[in-house]
Amino acid sequence: MMNSMNNVEEIIAAVEANFDLLSSDVIDKYQVGLDVNKNEIHRLLIFLKTNGWIQLSYLTAVDWIEENEFELVYIVFNWDKAVHIQIRTRIERDVEKASIETIMPIYPGCKYYEREVHEFFGIKFPGNPDYHKQLILEQFDDLPPLRKDFDPLAYAERKFPKRDYPDKFTNLEGKESEQAKRDVTHERVSKLRTGGTKK
Amino acid sequence: MKSTKFTKFTEKEADAKWWEIGNYFRRNSIWMLMYCTGCGAIELPPAMTSAYDMERLGMGPMATPRQADVLLVTGYLSVKTLRRIIYTYEQMSEPKYVVGFGSCTINGGVYFDSYAVINRLDYYIPVDVYVAGCMPNTEAILNGFVDLMGMMKNKTANGWVKYHENYEWYKANQIQAVGEVHVHDEFHE
Amino acid sequence: MKEIKLFLGPQHPGMHGNASVHMYIDADIIKKAYMLPGMLHRGFEKGMERHSWVNNIGLIPRVCVVEPDINEFVFAQAAEMMAGIEVPERGQYIRMIILEMARIIAHIMAYGGVGGPTGNYTVMYHAQEDRNRMLYIFEKITGHRVYHMYIVPGGVRKDLPVGIEDDLNEFMDDFEKRYDDYRALVLENPSVLKRITKTIPLPAEVVWELGVTGIGMRSAVNKPYDLRKVKPYLKYDKVEFDVPMMDYSDAKARLECKLIEISQSIRIIRQCLAQMKPGPVRVPLDHGQAMRWRVPKGQVYSSCESARGEFGYFVVSNGGTNPYRVGVRGASYPQGLLGIEKYLPGTRLDDASLWVDTMGVCAPEIDR
Repeated sequence: MMNSMNNVEEIIAAVEANFDLLSSDVIDKYQVGLDVNKNEIHRLLIFLKTNGWIQLSYLTAVDWIEENEFELVYIVFNWDKAVHIQIRTRIERDVEKASIETIMPIYPGCKYYEREVHEFFGIKFPGNPDYHKQLILEQFDDLPPLRKDFDPLAYAERKFPKRDYPDKFTNLEGKESEQAKRDVTHERVSKLRTGGTKK
Repeated sequence: MKSTKFTKFTEKEADAKWWEIGNYFRRNSIWMLMYCTGCGAIELPPAMTSAYDMERLGMGPMATPRQADVLLVTGYLSVKTLRRIIYTYEQMSEPKYVVGFGSCTINGGVYFDSYAVINRLDYYIPVDVYVAGCMPNTEAILNGFVDLMGMMKNKTANGWVKYHENYEWYKANQIQAVGEVHVHDEFHE
Repeated sequence: MKEIKLFLGPQHPGMHGNASVHMYIDADIIKKAYMLPGMLHRGFEKGMERHSWVNNIGLIPRVCVVEPDINEFVFAQAAEMMAGIEVPERGQYIRMIILEMARIIAHIMAYGGVGGPTGNYTVMYHAQEDRNRMLYIFEKITGHRVYHMYIVPGGVRKDLPVGIEDDLNEFMDDFEKRYDDYRALVLENPSVLKRITKTIPLPAEVVWELGVTGIGMRSAVNKPYDLRKVKPYLKYDKVEFDVPMMDYSDAKARLECKLIEISQSIRIIRQCLAQMKPGPVRVPLDHGQAMRWRVPKGQVYSSCESARGEFGYFVVSNGGTNPYRVGVRGASYPQGLLGIEKYLPGTRLDDASLWVDTMGVCAPEIDR
């Protein structure tokens, strides 16, 4: 088996020589992550594809709501050298402006991945023929679901009524509730110096 | 010569007697619709083939809903599947029965906080027998079928009658959860 | 000629799983086809963000119902890569045995599933009987027939029970004796051969365009591109096995590859049972406080070779008790969605369901 640690260093060196690499992140000897700017993505993917990374494994997005940005991740794989490369880039989070050109001319297999990212995050991909049609959801009437400001529990309680179970734990004989006594003891213990734990 | 005195049946009594005879034949040859709606359907092939063999109970698979007796809702129901299940349920001819598998039909199961899974199957179509588990064992499924046959004998499997009587209530619940119960073909429109 | 619109719908005796294919046909030849996924969508990726790392172990096997152990393994591997945990050796061998057992039952189910489209139901009965016996062995090891929740971050939950080698050896010997029966039922059966030879071939250029992995790729490209050989995880570099590959990928070649892979999995299980030594199987997480375990920051894509292809999870953690984002790469995503759109037009109507079975399109993985 060839020495793939050398491979990973070579890859980072080759990419750094030709492109403007913001940061790189070696995860282990079979995986490396590269951060680039949004306008370098297409050139970098063409460079990698002509050098053996012919399979697009995955395309997805991450919602960093505190930094007000989306992060797009493209993962490509080379079967001869056995290295996964994660290519990451940041775009703006605003609904009108979140878009990036499609990579269909480079990797035709990305068509349905981009459609799904649009459906779940709201990122537009001009160039992809049907990216705005819904694929997995049908007649969904709320925010794109995987954004961090969408609350699934509130949506589920609003639309799908639950089964309510009768409360069988009431105290029918008028005695003092054991659970209430336990709660008082628990609160008193948790205010002690060690919080009730042994040291 | 002894003479036998006939008392004629009223129409209602004759009807009840014919239903009893019909129930005997119905409960010994239930045909189930082949629709694997969810993950509980992975325990159905051992029941249908020689591992647990439900054909000795008289049950067999059926391809079209118009001639099937029982609809098995095997597991969770997403909103998209619910539209198609309502179509299928309304196409079945009466008397028809519904068996709900797994804990997702009872109270939502592991997906109680999901935006795409319904929580109670009871509100949308009437259910006769529930089989608990996640997922239920194949022996539990066969137990559920035997329970359904017992209910048919006691004339308590009346889900389809309830659907007729409370049709507006079921329809209102369906529209609240699903929007409109019409399948659009969005690829071709 | 007029074109008719047809749904190979969700409720169909020849369809595996709850997904539908919409087609325009013209007297038996398909002109346009699209797959409609989404009927099994449960919102997993959102649900995994709301539960802690250890709570997710109960939720994760339900992503793919035919072969649930690969989900647990890939999630555990991602958490271990970020936290820097090393699994003890006996735990790694047990994980390999469980993964190969899951591969055997997934392939048996797909091989027997040819009975539906071709009308040869005998092989389906044989296959389900064997699969049921393997599910009994799973119940003895892990406690549940289908959703095991056995592979956890840090190792395996418990050691193998005493005497399980006898059960495994009995199953494997019995299967190898009837290997020729399985071949005679489908691959040498003259009435089925007409349906599967030279139908739906997959050329090699189309493989790279669609991004297909797994048996579809290896039977068209003729190279050993298997993740267990190319980037070995667990202890796959210490056991010997072959990877079947062929030149011309029609339905018959793919079914043959499935049978050969079952016999290679049996070989791997035998070698693992011989090479294992006694020892611990699990590393405790966070000194025993597993419910409050925090995984350090990172973004990791961990993958493994499932019965249908490359299966992976992309996990992002920002140092909290819950994962920040989990993305699931279903192994049958390219061959299900894109393959049906680009590749089925031009073939006959009865081959649509055969494509879904031999290429291994599993609907819950696509929708999660």
